[in-house]
Amino acid sequence: MKFRIWRGDIDGQNGRYETFEVDVQPGMSVLDALFDIRDKQDDSLAFRFSCRGAVCGSCAMMINREPRLACRTQLSTIGKSKGLGLRPFTPLEKPVEWDRGTEVLIEPLPNLPVLKDLAVDMSRFFEAYRKIKPWIDARVEQKAFSKIMPDEAQRIEQYTNCILCAACFGACPVCDSNPEYLGPAALSWELRFTDDVRCKDREERMKTASLAEAVPGCQFVYNCVKVCPKQVAPAKAIGKLKSYIS
Amino acid sequence: MPEFDVVVVGGGLAGMRAALEAQRSCNVALISKVHPLRSHSGAAQGGINAALSATDSIESHTFDTVKGSDYLADQDAVEILCREAPDRILELDKFGVLFSRTPDGGIAQRPFGGAGFPRTCYAADKTGHNLLHGVYQQCVRSGLAVFEEWFVLRLVTGDRGVNGLVAYHIPTGEIATFAAKAVILATGGYGRIYSRSTNALVCTGDGAALALKAGAALMDMEFVQFHPTTLLGSNILISEAARGEGGHLVNSEGERFMARYAKNAMELAPRDIVTRSIQTEINEGRGIAGDHVNLVLTHLGADKIKSRLPGIREISMDFARIDPIEEPIPVQPGQHYSMGGIAVNTDCETEIPGLLSAGESACVSVHGANRLGGNSLLETIVFGKIAGRTAAKLAKGREPDTGGLEVARREEEMRTGDIAANRSNESVAGMSEELKNTMTENFGIFREERTMRAGLERLYLLREHFKNAGIQNRARTFNQALVSYIELKNELLVAESVALGALAREESRGSHYRTDFPKRDDERFLKHSMATLRDGRLSLSYKSVTLGRIPVKERTY
Repeated sequence: MKFRIWRGDIDGQNGRYETFEVDVQPGMSVLDALFDIRDKQDDSLAFRFSCRGAVCGSCAMMINREPRLACRTQLSTIGKSKGLGLRPFTPLEKPVEWDRGTEVLIEPLPNLPVLKDLAVDMSRFFEAYRKIKPWIDARVEQKAFSKIMPDEAQRIEQYTNCILCAACFGACPVCDSNPEYLGPAALSWELRFTDDVRCKDREERMKTASLAEAVPGCQFVYNCVKVCPKQVAPAKAIGKLKSYIS
Repeated sequence: MPEFDVVVVGGGLAGMRAALEAQRSCNVALISKVHPLRSHSGAAQGGINAALSATDSIESHTFDTVKGSDYLADQDAVEILCREAPDRILELDKFGVLFSRTPDGGIAQRPFGGAGFPRTCYAADKTGHNLLHGVYQQCVRSGLAVFEEWFVLRLVTGDRGVNGLVAYHIPTGEIATFAAKAVILATGGYGRIYSRSTNALVCTGDGAALALKAGAALMDMEFVQFHPTTLLGSNILISEAARGEGGHLVNSEGERFMARYAKNAMELAPRDIVTRSIQTEINEGRGIAGDHVNLVLTHLGADKIKSRLPGIREISMDFARIDPIEEPIPVQPGQHYSMGGIAVNTDCETEIPGLLSAGESACVSVHGANRLGGNSLLETIVFGKIAGRTAAKLAKGREPDTGGLEVARREEEMRTGDIAANRSNESVAGMSEELKNTMTENFGIFREERTMRAGLERLYLLREHFKNAGIQNRARTFNQALVSYIELKNELLVAESVALGALAREESRGSHYRTDFPKRDDERFLKHSMATLRDGRLSLSYKSVTLGRIPVKERTY
């Protein structure tokens, strides 16, 4: 199988695509293929990794023009599934010499500056996350376990599954066009905390959610829902926040 | 040069919990080779133990842990672990962790292997993920200084103890010093020295190697936990929770074979026992396709699988194209946890003043020869907090001698420069594979003298061979080939300590099973092995086990 991979130095200088041939073994993921290339062909290929089991969120990248986790993407499924049906925007439409029938196209996640090859600078993503104050205000005086009924837990459980991989951020047209926008993951966490029965700062959270760069920025394109590897459905969370604000 | 009171190395649960604690009174930095949220703690699935119920007790938790350890755990340390557990769970609840609930809104608990009571708290089967995010969120709240993608090259020590460390910034290639009055190593386990491992790819035993080279001892390194159920192929963990919720293990003849090995506990016998049972079935020809058995969940029904085990369903579907609601999951044993680690006392201190360790990188020892499921997450938060508290106290009384730091930095700059400029080009990846195969084949689930001696020879050859290893990558930025090279060097040292300990321990205890010495031998080996490095050579000595609360008995389930 041929891999067409975006290469570039620090700050994305000298950007170019390079092609590598990988001898595919059964059960191989895109991440396995990247390691195979690094181990046998070019040990300067830069990409992030850790768990290889779709729980740590390190390896989000663009695979055939769709943001995905490299470890979770099996080579056996490439070209066979019908695709995520993302609404196109600039980075997804950038012209590239690529034979869709025979090559897997691997590019860094859009909407974040490239550090090197497939590794991007996640600063903007985590700044947005910090902006919503992503924590429960732990009170020292609390002496007993919080009482949380199963339905109250279930209301937020879906949103606790976010691994902050930034696939949604890379798939979001608003993140591309509006550099201030906080993005789907941060707003999804905003709902997770707002809807927690332990939340003690709901009013302040509503103020943050109402900022121009927060909920009002969302255009409900739903690319975030389609790419989320953990079925978090950020746009659904943003929709709920919107209903709380209005 | 940045100067701190306390520097924590490692951004998993133990490291972050330690940093939170130390930061209450100190100037703290947390250094990690990956972003904290990418740490392996997040992969823990099944849960975290605490005696919360009125009908459970701290004594019962302590007893189960000591018995599970095959009596090698230090009983004073186990008592701290179990006594602190309820308060730490309450704290995690305050931190915002969403534990699964009972119908009346309390903390739900599930049965786990080797436990006499359902005392494992959980967040579905994503407990580690929920804890890691919860503790990280409190670190964000506290404004903790995090240095991510900094890889520690060397601890700097002087006559009076630790003075700081030298680290390499992976994205830029900068090599910098961090002066510190106390350093806490919370770097996780050394699972990746084995080929079949549930561990994240970053679990390369860096902390153990750093500690050895700084003069500290490693304890009980031969005790390596092999988890019974890892997904065939990728060896991703399939949680013990799957059996806790009622899953069955079945061989090629459709038999629930655990009845022959642990007739009372069945699938919920401790991990060492279930692992050997599965491997025996495979070795005796009752495995499926010669390499696995089936974990059957189909009888649990879709609702229970979706609500209690959503994570393992995702993993089965993503990585094996199998839906456990419809089909059994093919599983095989695989390396999972490092019981051994950096020797520390119950305040998390090593013998080197100012150097501490907590979590999987440390050996307190609370797990002895076999860890019970649900006790590793617990260890991270209990001893993480203790390490942070001890480090803060030590920092007040120590003045580091920063004179040696710059010299060490220049030496490390030369050394890394030499690696990058080395004309030798034998592949690091190839040698890494040889290491993993050696450890799996010669120091695996079943061990014997002859194969271990052969394995040790393979390791010595590999150590010689490593002198010819080289990298092609000349880049200063994101030189991950350089990082892999140093990780392998660390792993070779750690692997040798595992091998030496295993060869010398002529008995079977917990995870360490010798076919040539199938019985536990308390007379000769109820003691901890201690590996130290002197003049480039590893040597072994022994230390007594702290007993006194629970009498040492035969271990049956």
